[in-house]
Amino acid sequence: MNRIYKALLAVPAVLLFSTQNAYAYLDPGTGSMLLQGLIGGIAGGMFAIRLYWSKLKSRFGRTPASVSTRDGEQAPTDKAR
Amino acid sequence: MTAVEPGSFRDPSGQVFESDGRIFRTITARALADYTFVRDSGVLKRLIDSGRLVASEEVDPSILGNDARGAPIVVEHSRIPFVSYPYEWPFPALKAAALFHLDLQIDLLADGVMMSDASAYNVQFIGPRPVLIDLLSLRRYREGEYWAGLRQFCEQFLNPLLLRAVLGVPHNQWYRGSLEGIPTAELNRLLPFHKKLSWQVMTYVVLQARLEASANDKGTADAGAIRKKGLTKASLLGILTQLRGWIAKLKPADTGKTVWGDYARNNTYTDAAEEAKCRFIAEFAQAVRPKLLWDLGCNSGNYSAVALGAGAGAAVGFDFDQKALELAFDRAVSEKLNLLPLFQDAANPSPDQGWQQAERRGIQGRRDADGLLALAFEHHLVIGRNVPLDQTIGWLTGLAPRGVIEFVPKDDPTVQRMLALREDIFDGYGVDAFTAALEARARIVRAESIADSGRRLFWYDRS
Repeated sequence: MNRIYKALLAVPAVLLFSTQNAYAYLDPGTGSMLLQGLIGGIAGGMFAIRLYWSKLKSRFGRTPASVSTRDGEQAPTDKAR
Repeated sequence: MTAVEPGSFRDPSGQVFESDGRIFRTITARALADYTFVRDSGVLKRLIDSGRLVASEEVDPSILGNDARGAPIVVEHSRIPFVSYPYEWPFPALKAAALFHLDLQIDLLADGVMMSDASAYNVQFIGPRPVLIDLLSLRRYREGEYWAGLRQFCEQFLNPLLLRAVLGVPHNQWYRGSLEGIPTAELNRLLPFHKKLSWQVMTYVVLQARLEASANDKGTADAGAIRKKGLTKASLLGILTQLRGWIAKLKPADTGKTVWGDYARNNTYTDAAEEAKCRFIAEFAQAVRPKLLWDLGCNSGNYSAVALGAGAGAAVGFDFDQKALELAFDRAVSEKLNLLPLFQDAANPSPDQGWQQAERRGIQGRRDADGLLALAFEHHLVIGRNVPLDQTIGWLTGLAPRGVIEFVPKDDPTVQRMLALREDIFDGYGVDAFTAALEARARIVRAESIADSGRRLFWYDRS
């Protein structure tokens, strides 16, 4: 986890000031896979925390936030727009 | 007569056929294991029952004869009223489709099902409601696998949305020329420095573009290593929910709610004229009962709503005004109208394109409408784009056998505004020429002047 954090903190500066040619049509999506490897740990951690939090809230009688429950239709929609 | 759907050539798992108006899909031997897993686990039925997957029923493969080419399973799908493409969807439709895809994937993971791709073309709309049409993209989830569709999801859903949400540029024209979506590297180049400072943009656009570029430089040497490392299910769910939360908050950068609110009322009719117009359209829809109504220049969907209320089955609205389309889509959702508003420029409609110019059909090559509304529309073509009046009427009446066309005279304030800074080259433009052009092609069932506006409604029938 620690390593991923460091990697994530280090990349933005490099990214913002560099450009490179991309020949994306040759690539089978390795870049997107590498991205998942980098952010997966953090995203998974945050997901676990949210799940834990919604369970905790539901234990105290509040309606749980929908995280991965089977309520696709009722999950927060774009009504807020 | 059985014909292969020309857009379904990519997937060796099966093909789509149309036979006498019915839609069939073959499922080949290589896709059989995944299909039976999804079917036998009850997922297929649950998705169909909840309206998220287009209805599919197994039929006797011999119904396709030799065309089935030995496919062990053939299913029949119910027909989508009107096939549309992501480059025609207004922002809220593309957003609804993106959220639909993510919700579906999140939900399916609980049953151990993964979607093999993230093609926006696999989502279609019934009214404003998204539905998945490709059951072959459902397969068994393998522990530790990456989300293979992330790149496609970004190019076909996320990036076009960001174009509008971050830069205020509608995605439609670019997407139409770039059928696989908007490349992350190109979006990255367009974004100004300060727009990159959000961590989501940094992650999914800047970082992803960078990783794509470096992966290309290094070749695919580290792809194998990455694949071996794997991604936990929690991480996968984390990425999906994170994207979902972000996309749910996206809205066009170039509009405010207040602008939209006034938009519906911002026209040149008096209430009496409006009322007369609605009555005329309701009577037309009641008498004709079109199964599929095309509403050209649909604006916020007012008259489609009237027609649907009076007996039209489904309506597709076309407009090139993004704000009007957004209003119409939101209205279709909130009022549960069977209305799909689409971006379309009548002077340059969606062409036949893609592989062999047959993969994505042009707007007129898709299923024929049996009812037409063209209200406050013709002058945009005739005066606005210099299309001769006679050609305009010919084109309009060719779209549907019956319809209502509104004539807008030259002294109308809208036309006056269009002519304010240009020479009036439209000598022959008038109600007589309009009537003659219409009568040359169809019977005029009824004509009615709208209050004191000088505008006139024509109900035609050429059937």
